[in-house]
Amino acid sequence: MSYVVGAGRCTRLRGRPDLHTSYAQELSLFDTPAKRAAMAVLLVAALLMPFLLTDEVLQLLALGCVAAIGAIGLGLVTGYAGQVSLGHAFFLAVGAYTAAAISGDPDGRVIGFGVTNILVWLPAAGLVAGLAGVLVAPLATRLRGLYLAIVTLGLVFIGQHVFSEWSALTGGAGVGRPAATLEFFGQPIAATGPLGTRDQKLYWLMLLLLLGFALAAANLARSKVGRAFTAIRDRDIAAGVIGVNLARYKTIAFAVSSAYAGCAGALLYTITGFFDPGSFSLLLSVQYIAMVLIGGAGTISGAIAGAFFITLLPRFTRELQAWVPFLSAQPNEVPNVFQVETILYGVLLVVFLIFEPRGLFGIWVRVRNYWKTWPFSY
Amino acid sequence: MGRNRPSAVEPRRVAAATVALLLCAALAACRGGDTETDASGVKTDVGVTAEPCPEAVDQNKGCIYLGIISDLTEGPFRALAVPITDAQKAFWKRVNTAGGIGDYEVDVTRWIRDNKYNPQTHNQVYQEMKPNVLALAQTLGSPTTAAILADMKASSVVAAPAAWTSAYAFEDVIVESGANYCLESMNALDYAREAHGVKSVLAVHLAGDYGDDAAAGAKLGAQSLGMTFSAVKTDTGADKQAGAIQAILSGRPDLVILTMGPADAAAIVGQAAARGFTGRFIGTSPTWNPALLQSAAAPALLARYEQTAPWDAWGADTPGHQALRQALGQVTPNDGYTAGWVWSYPMKAALTKAVADGDLTRAGLLAAVKSLTSVDYEGMLPAGAGNYAAGPSDGAVRVTAVYRPDRAAPTGVTQVRPLTVGPTAQAYALDRPCYEKL
Amino acid sequence: MTELAESLLRGLGTGSVYALLALGFVIIYKATRVISFAQPAFMLAGAVLVTYLAGPVGFWAAVPVAAVLTAGLALGVERVAVRPMVGRPAFVVAIITLGVDVAVRVVVNGFIGLDVRHVGDPWGLRTVTIPGTGIDLQQRHLAALLATAVLIVGLFAFFRYTRMGLAMRAAAYDQEAALAQGVSVGGVFALSWGLAGGLAAVAGTFAAAGASVDAALWLIALTALPVIILGGLDSLPGAVVGGLAVGTIQELTASYQQHAPWLGGNVSVISPYVLMLLVLLVRPYGLFGTREVERV
Repeated sequence: MSYVVGAGRCTRLRGRPDLHTSYAQELSLFDTPAKRAAMAVLLVAALLMPFLLTDEVLQLLALGCVAAIGAIGLGLVTGYAGQVSLGHAFFLAVGAYTAAAISGDPDGRVIGFGVTNILVWLPAAGLVAGLAGVLVAPLATRLRGLYLAIVTLGLVFIGQHVFSEWSALTGGAGVGRPAATLEFFGQPIAATGPLGTRDQKLYWLMLLLLLGFALAAANLARSKVGRAFTAIRDRDIAAGVIGVNLARYKTIAFAVSSAYAGCAGALLYTITGFFDPGSFSLLLSVQYIAMVLIGGAGTISGAIAGAFFITLLPRFTRELQAWVPFLSAQPNEVPNVFQVETILYGVLLVVFLIFEPRGLFGIWVRVRNYWKTWPFSY
Repeated sequence: MGRNRPSAVEPRRVAAATVALLLCAALAACRGGDTETDASGVKTDVGVTAEPCPEAVDQNKGCIYLGIISDLTEGPFRALAVPITDAQKAFWKRVNTAGGIGDYEVDVTRWIRDNKYNPQTHNQVYQEMKPNVLALAQTLGSPTTAAILADMKASSVVAAPAAWTSAYAFEDVIVESGANYCLESMNALDYAREAHGVKSVLAVHLAGDYGDDAAAGAKLGAQSLGMTFSAVKTDTGADKQAGAIQAILSGRPDLVILTMGPADAAAIVGQAAARGFTGRFIGTSPTWNPALLQSAAAPALLARYEQTAPWDAWGADTPGHQALRQALGQVTPNDGYTAGWVWSYPMKAALTKAVADGDLTRAGLLAAVKSLTSVDYEGMLPAGAGNYAAGPSDGAVRVTAVYRPDRAAPTGVTQVRPLTVGPTAQAYALDRPCYEKL
Repeated sequence: MTELAESLLRGLGTGSVYALLALGFVIIYKATRVISFAQPAFMLAGAVLVTYLAGPVGFWAAVPVAAVLTAGLALGVERVAVRPMVGRPAFVVAIITLGVDVAVRVVVNGFIGLDVRHVGDPWGLRTVTIPGTGIDLQQRHLAALLATAVLIVGLFAFFRYTRMGLAMRAAAYDQEAALAQGVSVGGVFALSWGLAGGLAAVAGTFAAAGASVDAALWLIALTALPVIILGGLDSLPGAVVGGLAVGTIQELTASYQQHAPWLGGNVSVISPYVLMLLVLLVRPYGLFGTREVERV
């Protein structure tokens, strides 16, 4: 392997980043110097954010990081393998409850096993959610397109009923339970201390986890499995003809995606520390689908961008209040800022997808192509 | 704050990162509010400014900012939340006109946010307003408030709730008013036994500590009164009541206790009566809306429905009610207004006490709350209400009024029995949140 | 026995509302291959319009006027938000309709105001007794069933006997071929949205008859999703049969759920989804859906 990479390096020509002389080179994650540099800069900037922003914004960004993990997972099954799933909220719930139960207080009101180490509950959440994905996969191998989407939607409704009823685990609808405890071998990971505030540490933790999950997903996407996914998405019958085992790879797609969702669910509520079964509704699934589509289906960076976009959008629309003086801040008058906030959320989704159906990634591609061919870009 | 939002970081701008590094040390030092002392010797920290409020009555006074987090657009309690919020704005405007709190006026208009009845959104808007407000004039909903409770306790943020769950009696940072759902249901049973001689009771309730709390109260009450008790859970949505109606028709209890939204209650009462149910219904406070008297269920409601409430309705004759009607002027009467108004009194009392103690910091306000032995509700609740120093059980307000639908009354209900404590609620020791006992 | 019969009749009554909603979904799907998640908003808008119009013009005039106005709203949405997306992936369009749904519902909620509103229907909660059996049937359910039957007959006649109906069938069968024959496919899209909007308004009215209109009414429209999958996404008879089946199953579950308390409260709410899953395990394209023909 090292030989191939070395050989690639020998024959790389300056100023010709797209000239690949080996498969390994073509498949590498950051194949051009510009990508490597941009990635490094982005990473340094992201790591420095806690020194520049207020705690409240950091918390929102931490939320964005976790949402991005979930979105990457959905991106794998929907963007790469082409199986549209509206059931993501269900898998998020499975992960969240697994983690919360494992790390919960054994003497508390709800089920808890008192194992607070993140190294235990995070993988466990992924594993259990992944298993749930495997159980759902047989349906996915029989159904396609919108049928699959609505069946997975059914999963959300049935799951919500189960979680609301199973109050020994979930605390019951409208009551809820504490989320998983962020501890690492007895040490609280995110607590205000001399090294930084809780939100600063939360952000760093979630950023690092996002990095890990994103790299793993990118790696999967360029492997044999990832190529099988895209083959199924592009034409499943053709993929079957060339020897891709459809049932097997659809199952893998659902399992991996659900595992990602499980981990995201486990982490998501550690930020607020509390959640109730009502959170895992159709709306949550829709938000994740929107993240993937707005970011750009079939790309990892798109899913991340989409997750941040959707997480920050409500905050952004609330900020708009200050700029639109004729709107009333009185909730009894129509129209008021609160209505406009919600309407804007809907309208921005619509406008965005109409003007750039390929999502944020599509915008990036256009910008990049413009400058690549500059000054002959038209 | 919005200007600090990270935009897509332009690659190749290494310079920016370097500058950022240099800025780190300077900015990292700026975290956290510092305690200051104003001209008259009152200590302040977060959410209190020497500058006047945006809509100040007296430009020479400082400003105390209070946040409001409510369900203003698409959540299930919007129809109550909007009048609650309006009444609170009117309440604090009246306080400001009457001279404010010490050298300060109170602003509740700058930081109003919509939680969409979603715990995550609730937490986000709370985090957003937290560096700017001293306390919360309203935090609506139980699961939503639970999502910020840990943070409120850690940072000593006091809040007036917009809910009557019994769990709030156990939280120092929450200044609740009136009897909780649990005690209210007990009073309802005491009343129903005397007035209608009921022997069996069925609680139809929403999930969550709102519905569960009332159902638990009915259960505990039924146990001590020797009634047979059963409960059935239901969901929001007039189309989702078929199971509850069936349970009423097959169980045939003497009394059904309803805890849900108005449209759901109308569906249940109307259809159960239409299908031959002859027992009584009692709804707990948020179950009523005057518009139900125009619904198809109106005859059934008039014949067999009664309503309990933790305080007198809009049209009552106490100084507090009069001030409420005067402050709001020409609005369609709604008991959401009454609730928002009553809920504001303890916050006013706590702020006044904190200023008198010379400590208007968050910690000072919390200390003031803990030392409150009574709140002046201007007659809207009996004397002695608002004793937060006495602990959950001794400090609990236990009075409940009973109403029946009446087309002539301003909010569609007239009083059957004034604020009274029944023997069951009187004897009950509130040792932990009721809903845990359901 | 009486109880079973009454449950069945109630189920058919609520089921006919689902059938109307599902017809809207299926008509849009057949024309544009997209599921419109904006239907709940149109249903709510229609019901709210009826609550405003019933006072001045009376219930019987209010319903058709509200249906026409809602159809107009749907046409507008189609023109602005959906038409530019022709040929785009179905899911991007579906998310767009979701965005529309959120925005429209907030506006409509503003018109609901703080009160519970009423459509002013003449039936209320009164019942009629079927002679000789002692079985009670609510008038509003009877009305919903009759109205649905009339609308279905009208729709089928429209598709069967009119030029535009023929055009819609042609476009549903093969868009390009229809275009080549001079069918205005854009017009077909618009008409399908308009029809779906009108049907949603009528469905909303009947869903609120005898009850009331509040912001939660839109949730009823979600039940139409399992209905269309159950019946088959592209089958109009499937939508009707599926709607009635789902309504019946829901009422039966509600009536007999007390015998299975371990299922938890209000299990009738999820019974449509369970029914859908069971049917799909046997028939992956629903009861009447067309099996997709695959070309490699």
